[in-house]
Amino acid sequence: MRASSPVISIAQLQKTFYVPEREAGLRAATRNLFRRQNREVKAVDDITFEVAPGEMVGFLGPNGAGKTTTLKMLSGLLYPTGGEISVLSYIPSRRQRDFLRQITLVMGQRNQLAWDIPALDSFELNRAVYQIPRPDFDQTVAELIELLDLEAIVRKPVRNLSLGERMKVEIAGSLLHRPQVLFLDEPTIGLDVTMQRRIRNFIAEYNHRHGATVLLTSHYMADVVALCRRVIVIHHGKILYDGELSGLVDKFSALKTIVLTVPDSSIDLSMFGEVTSREPSRVTLRVPRADTSRVTAQVLASLPVSDLTVEDPPIEEVIEHVFAQGPEQAA
Amino acid sequence: MNFLRVAWAYFRIGALNELQYRVNFFVQLFESFLALATGLVGLALVFSHTQSLGGWSRPELLAVMGIHILMGGLIKTTIQPNMERLMGDVQQGTLDYTLTKPSDSQVLVSVREVRIWQTVDILMGLIIMVVAVIQIQARIGIGQALAFAAALLMGGLMIYSFWLILTTGAFWVVRMDQIVELFQGVYQAGRWPVGIYPGWLRSGLTFLVPVAFAVTVPAEALTGRLTPQTLLGAAALTTALLLASRWVWFTGLRNYTGASA
Amino acid sequence: MRAMLDFYLTQMKMALVQQFQYRVANYFYMIGMIAEPVIYLVVWSTVANAQGGSVAGYTPGEFAAYYIVWTLVRNMNIVLTPYAWENYIQRGWLSMELLRPVHPLHAQIAYFAGWKFVAIVMWLPIAAILAAVFQPEINTSPWAVAAFVVALWGGFFVRFMMLWLLGMITFWTTRVSAIFELYFTMELLFSGRLVPLALLPPWAQQLAAYMPFKWAFGFPIELLLGKYTQAQALYGLGAQVFWIALGAILVRLFWRTALRRFSAVGA
Repeated sequence: MRASSPVISIAQLQKTFYVPEREAGLRAATRNLFRRQNREVKAVDDITFEVAPGEMVGFLGPNGAGKTTTLKMLSGLLYPTGGEISVLSYIPSRRQRDFLRQITLVMGQRNQLAWDIPALDSFELNRAVYQIPRPDFDQTVAELIELLDLEAIVRKPVRNLSLGERMKVEIAGSLLHRPQVLFLDEPTIGLDVTMQRRIRNFIAEYNHRHGATVLLTSHYMADVVALCRRVIVIHHGKILYDGELSGLVDKFSALKTIVLTVPDSSIDLSMFGEVTSREPSRVTLRVPRADTSRVTAQVLASLPVSDLTVEDPPIEEVIEHVFAQGPEQAA
Repeated sequence: MNFLRVAWAYFRIGALNELQYRVNFFVQLFESFLALATGLVGLALVFSHTQSLGGWSRPELLAVMGIHILMGGLIKTTIQPNMERLMGDVQQGTLDYTLTKPSDSQVLVSVREVRIWQTVDILMGLIIMVVAVIQIQARIGIGQALAFAAALLMGGLMIYSFWLILTTGAFWVVRMDQIVELFQGVYQAGRWPVGIYPGWLRSGLTFLVPVAFAVTVPAEALTGRLTPQTLLGAAALTTALLLASRWVWFTGLRNYTGASA
Repeated sequence: MRAMLDFYLTQMKMALVQQFQYRVANYFYMIGMIAEPVIYLVVWSTVANAQGGSVAGYTPGEFAAYYIVWTLVRNMNIVLTPYAWENYIQRGWLSMELLRPVHPLHAQIAYFAGWKFVAIVMWLPIAAILAAVFQPEINTSPWAVAAFVVALWGGFFVRFMMLWLLGMITFWTTRVSAIFELYFTMELLFSGRLVPLALLPPWAQQLAAYMPFKWAFGFPIELLLGKYTQAQALYGLGAQVFWIALGAILVRLFWRTALRRFSAVGA
């Protein structure tokens, strides 16, 4: 097998849902019994991309963008309506055993472990399900306990754990079979900031140690920024951007921010650009990207500036702006 | 009486609410029919092997079945939904909303809920009863009819008191969901006249869970078996149970509100 | 495969531990279940006494035996209710199980099987009390007892497969209560649950022989009560195997299509 063959390969993938339309009233209900009236919802509309082994890719998109649907198709839970999809050279929807043994799907706040017994006992069941040899299993469990700091909680019934602790044992449980591909759907949702950071660190460490391919969806920018160099932005089922995180702002933001340190900030700077904030000795300007160097030169030439920095607007803002657009405006 | 006004207000709202879901009517109708069919098959099977059961003839047993369905419908329409909601309120701590209303608390928790589609059972029970009475070919005098109505009313009140006492137990023993299932199992015994059960069971079905008074006694009234002693006993027991349930309710309430810090 | 056996044993052990934790709730449920057979028992004993001691070959003692064994078989019969499928599908539990390299059917069967061991153990004292009260008579033989143990589990598997198939209807429509209730009513009448099948009119008994219900319920009971010759018992066990196999084939046939439906509506 060539070293560079992609782990995940998606071409012109489509997924259309048929959502039943319900009307009120008895007659409509009876009609509904025999002939369902359906509305078409295109959750995934012709997306194409590839993922190389060991890559960590972030899926960004607002709710309903198609991220979770894509992950479910990648893990074999949903059948695509059109297009091709291949993971580890398997067709996911065939759901072959050997395929299922090499992947894992973690959905935030979905429970896989049994509620009323210690996580360690549920791990035992996963061992049997995935047919993990005993020595490998013991080693993996020890490693996960160490990496995720589970020693104190892994023998308590899952229902007695806090939300963050539960998420940790759930993740541990889903990695017992050392999958090569990790699909993580909103893994940090609902957790506090400290726990989010811990889980992010864990994922990074896991990828580093085992070279697992990670596909991560989130609508927390922090997750994606911390873990992924490559980002795929999805909106209304279409890919808006696929590339480096740093390039994201370049592509979507038409603006740059210039922060000036000046002795008197009350001067009028409107000829240079839009003033977004004014503090005693600092002014923040927003200028069109194309004008950045011209404005910078002009400002330096005409004002007593002691410090000047050129920044990108915060990624969150950029993304928000992108998501706020309708499907027609999607690039 | 204020109690009637409150009850009617809740009934109206509950009915209006559920009337929107007309499909549930057909679902309920179908299920009631299935239950009826099963009952009739059971009856037919028994009478394919014998002529009378414990001294009751076939149309008389049909009357018992009719009353059983009718009373069951009454329970499922008003008593059960209210008690189930009360249990839920105690478990989730939402009883406080009701306690702050300016009406008698016992009345409120007893009339809040109504499941209007269960009235199908009440109707069905009535029809079966009428058919049975026609088949018995006895003439029912005014006195008998009145005794029957009284027996039915008292039986209903006894079942209500019984449920309330049991549900109030939720104040102390918070998990009481199994009670509903337990009751439904025991209530099935009322399909047959309690005379056929061995002595200890009969006593249990009379004094422990007042199924006998809910079904058999009204049936006795309808079929001319009712003795004045039984009717008087029913009246005494109803009064006792109503008083007891009210006392238990307020004791439980005191315990509940005292404990909530 | 040895791995499958390992999985079954692990899952069963887990179910045992979990259900043992809920023993109080389980006991409550089992006790509530007694009301039904006791009522039938009393009614038919009354009829038997009125008819001079027996009805259709059953004396009151034998009715007692029938309905006491009934409680055990009833417990073994309790499997995944088809009504659970709506939650199963829409709450995403099915998704979780589909991600594993084991068919959800195996996971469910293993779980319930483990649970049954707890149920059997808890049933014993209840049976003792019922026997003390109702004085059952049993004319059985060692081979019948052995066959009964097999038939008991056979009945569990038969009902499991049938209700799994029934539950699969939920993939296609959620207005299922009518279908389910119809099934349960037929089952009540033709399985031997309402009355011993010998009390049904002959045409009904013949009909019952062709339906799956009897083989999950009445057959094991009658077997233990010594109502069958060895040949008849063997035939009955064969019928159980038939229904289990038929169920398995149908599940296999329709599972893919069902998953496509699941896929179309999403969860």
